[in-house]
Amino acid sequence: MSGAILSTHGLIARYGDFQALYGIDFEIDAGEAVALIGANGAGKSTFLRALMGLLPVAAGMVRMEGTPIGGTATDRMVQMGVAIVPEGRRLFAGMSVEDNLRVAMDQAERLGRKGGWSLQRLHDLFPILKEKARTPVQSLSGGQQQMVSIGRALLCQPKLLLCDEISLGLAPKVIREIYAALPEVRAQGTSIILVEQDVGLAKQASDRLYCLLEGRVTLTGPSAEVTRDAISQAYFGGSHAVV
Amino acid sequence: MQWFDALVQGVLLGGMYAQYALGMALMFGVMKIVNVSHGDLVILLSLVGISLASSFGLGPFTVMVALVPLALALGWILQKAILNKVVGEDPLPSLIATFGLSLALQNLMLQIWSANSRSLPGGGIESRSIEIGGIYIGLLPVIVLVFAIGLTWGLDLMLKRTRFGRALRAAAADVEAAAMTGIDARKVYASATAIAVGILGFAAVFQSLRSTVAPADGGAQLIYAFEAVIIGGMGSIWGAFAGSMVLGITQAIGFRIDPGFGVLAGHLVFLLVLATRPQGLFGKV
Amino acid sequence: MTAFPRGSAPPRVQVHRQTSSGRIALVLFALAVIGLVAMPWWAKTGTIRMILELCCYIAVAQMWNMLAGYAGLVSVGQQAFMGAAGYALFVLAQTFGINPFLAIFLSLLAPAVLAVPCYLLLHRLDGPYFAIGTWVVAEVFRLAASNLGWLNAGAGMSLSVMKDYSAFERNVAMSLLCALMILVTIGGSYWFLRSRYGLALIAMRDNPVAAASQGVDVKRLRFMIYVAAAVGCGLVGSVYFMAQLRINPPSAFDPMWSNIAIFIVMVGGIASIEGVLIGALIYFIADRWFGEYGASYFVVLGLMTVLVALSARSGIWGMISKRWDAPWFPIRRHLTLTKETP
Repeated sequence: MSGAILSTHGLIARYGDFQALYGIDFEIDAGEAVALIGANGAGKSTFLRALMGLLPVAAGMVRMEGTPIGGTATDRMVQMGVAIVPEGRRLFAGMSVEDNLRVAMDQAERLGRKGGWSLQRLHDLFPILKEKARTPVQSLSGGQQQMVSIGRALLCQPKLLLCDEISLGLAPKVIREIYAALPEVRAQGTSIILVEQDVGLAKQASDRLYCLLEGRVTLTGPSAEVTRDAISQAYFGGSHAVV
Repeated sequence: MQWFDALVQGVLLGGMYAQYALGMALMFGVMKIVNVSHGDLVILLSLVGISLASSFGLGPFTVMVALVPLALALGWILQKAILNKVVGEDPLPSLIATFGLSLALQNLMLQIWSANSRSLPGGGIESRSIEIGGIYIGLLPVIVLVFAIGLTWGLDLMLKRTRFGRALRAAAADVEAAAMTGIDARKVYASATAIAVGILGFAAVFQSLRSTVAPADGGAQLIYAFEAVIIGGMGSIWGAFAGSMVLGITQAIGFRIDPGFGVLAGHLVFLLVLATRPQGLFGKV
Repeated sequence: MTAFPRGSAPPRVQVHRQTSSGRIALVLFALAVIGLVAMPWWAKTGTIRMILELCCYIAVAQMWNMLAGYAGLVSVGQQAFMGAAGYALFVLAQTFGINPFLAIFLSLLAPAVLAVPCYLLLHRLDGPYFAIGTWVVAEVFRLAASNLGWLNAGAGMSLSVMKDYSAFERNVAMSLLCALMILVTIGGSYWFLRSRYGLALIAMRDNPVAAASQGVDVKRLRFMIYVAAAVGCGLVGSVYFMAQLRINPPSAFDPMWSNIAIFIVMVGGIASIEGVLIGALIYFIADRWFGEYGASYFVVLGLMTVLVALSARSGIWGMISKRWDAPWFPIRRHLTLTKETP
């Protein structure tokens, strides 16, 4: 497991009294893209939140390049090279597109994180962000907001990018545009964990996938090899879902 | 002419109010933290300044050099020890905590300095004035106004143009999302409160030069600062400055109508703004 | 649609709200009210005045508790209504010569009428805005009273008509008024919380948005509580200033009352009647014992409030009820299955 950039071992997470994850074993290698699929409430977003330090988890449950880091504060996770495109985009309302992006650049600079992403490169990736630089984020369309959110995460110069349902609520054309950016991100050597409802999209964009059901991993394997059948079993539960 | 004079005096008074309002604009307007002890901190700093001046024979501007760093430290400790533990969606805990602090501070000051009113000897600048076209303008109020404009300009620029300002606005908009970009919100907030209280270091010196201070005066300063911020509009630094001007001018004109009506006129304009334009003059809807 | 399997009758349930601790407390409460009424026969004038003060603390704190603890309206300006009713009493009794004991009830119209425009002005403000708004309103009342000639401006008024009554008669009146204050504020709140409004109120306290979506008329409920709290505080003001025999703007609209109410409710335990009683007793005893230390005593009260806000949000009653489930004023409903009777 020495090649894994990040791995989890029996990861358990709960919201108050409600246990959301029941011992997740997971790993992702440097440069790899892994998709996380599963029905609503399966625990996909919870898993990302736990990785990002947004939920309390024990140190040993998460390792980054072998070092136990579970429960590390979110801002320190960014310092270690993990960034997230959160569910709901979570842009800074009242600030312009450029200011939203600058916040991330500022912090990367403060934390001494270096990487290949710059405002210039981001503008090449999503030209609209240059055009709308001075626009307050709340007056952008959903797709444009998602681009800002992705851009903001990339400017944290991550080694590992967590994407939480980046296609949610967007038109197919916009989704294609956004997904077209992912290979560019990987070309930078960045690993990606992709939470996605759309199984086809998830398979296409990933090397491997994990399927979650009610807080447990029910299926894992190379994205190209798992069959629709296995996925639908793992998705909805069944007697012998684990392949 | 009498009314023009009232207008000028009102603008100058507004300069004083702006100095309380700026810190409030940062804490209440941007960070959404209610600090009920805001006014008491001005009084505390004033009294410390007066004691410093009388024990070491310091001039007002030397006192200022000593007070501002003290105020910064006070603000930083306030945020670290109390406010960071009570910030959140629900404003009640921060309201209650600072309310208790206000009660404790007021009575602590009463014990140390007694209920007497005091003021800072200014070595003559407090009584000097210039005559322009038949209107006498005090030198000190002009200095206060100049400082207020400078502080407003600096604070606005800091908030809009610096790394710290962007981080603060980001944290105020969404603490969790701010953390996702690497911001340590508690640290940013501690610095912001340090700045907010630090500005009160200036206000304290000017307040105790312009008039007198007594331990129980903090409540009035708190109300004026809140009124200025809300009249101007939450989240806008220049708005708070404009709100201070509106408040100062209204009070000065009200005072000309009837000496008992000055402060009341200010409150009434504040309530009028609340009723007709709750987002304030410069606030976004 | 039914939640029960076809063919089986729904289980019989009974709704219980009273508990044995509640029954004991109710008896004690009734005894306390009787004790208050009987004060002229067992207490000296000085004691009656002291108990009157305690009753005022309890009543004002409970009104604040209803506002902040249940309606989510944090007011720091309830003294506006205390002063308004107090002044109304003095004007009615002294200026117009109305019997003071009739005037005390008529004076409650002042806070009731004034509360309506105040609420219309303030209700759009949320949280901290609202709090500061109420404070400004109280300041406006104070400054207005200081400027109004027919309230004798800053000099204030005296209630010399009270000289027409003997000391015993006054004591009887004060005792009855104490009992009334407690009945109206504590008893009234308890009745209100147990009524169908009470459920709505608790739902609203926990989540106003969800409550509104479940058909709770949050706006109307808040308005009702605001006006009721204004009248409750007004009653306290009238009674308190009748006992004082004097009123002037700084005392009538003293923000100290807000300080006391906040301390009592926060330290005792917000959103519970029990907390108010505990907090009021603590404040009252501390005031008797340590009041002579003046400022340093208030420093301690202030720091205690900070401490509660930092680490024990539910106050003393919150800590007690976590260990023992024995409410004095039970408002929760318990469902128990009863055996089916054939």
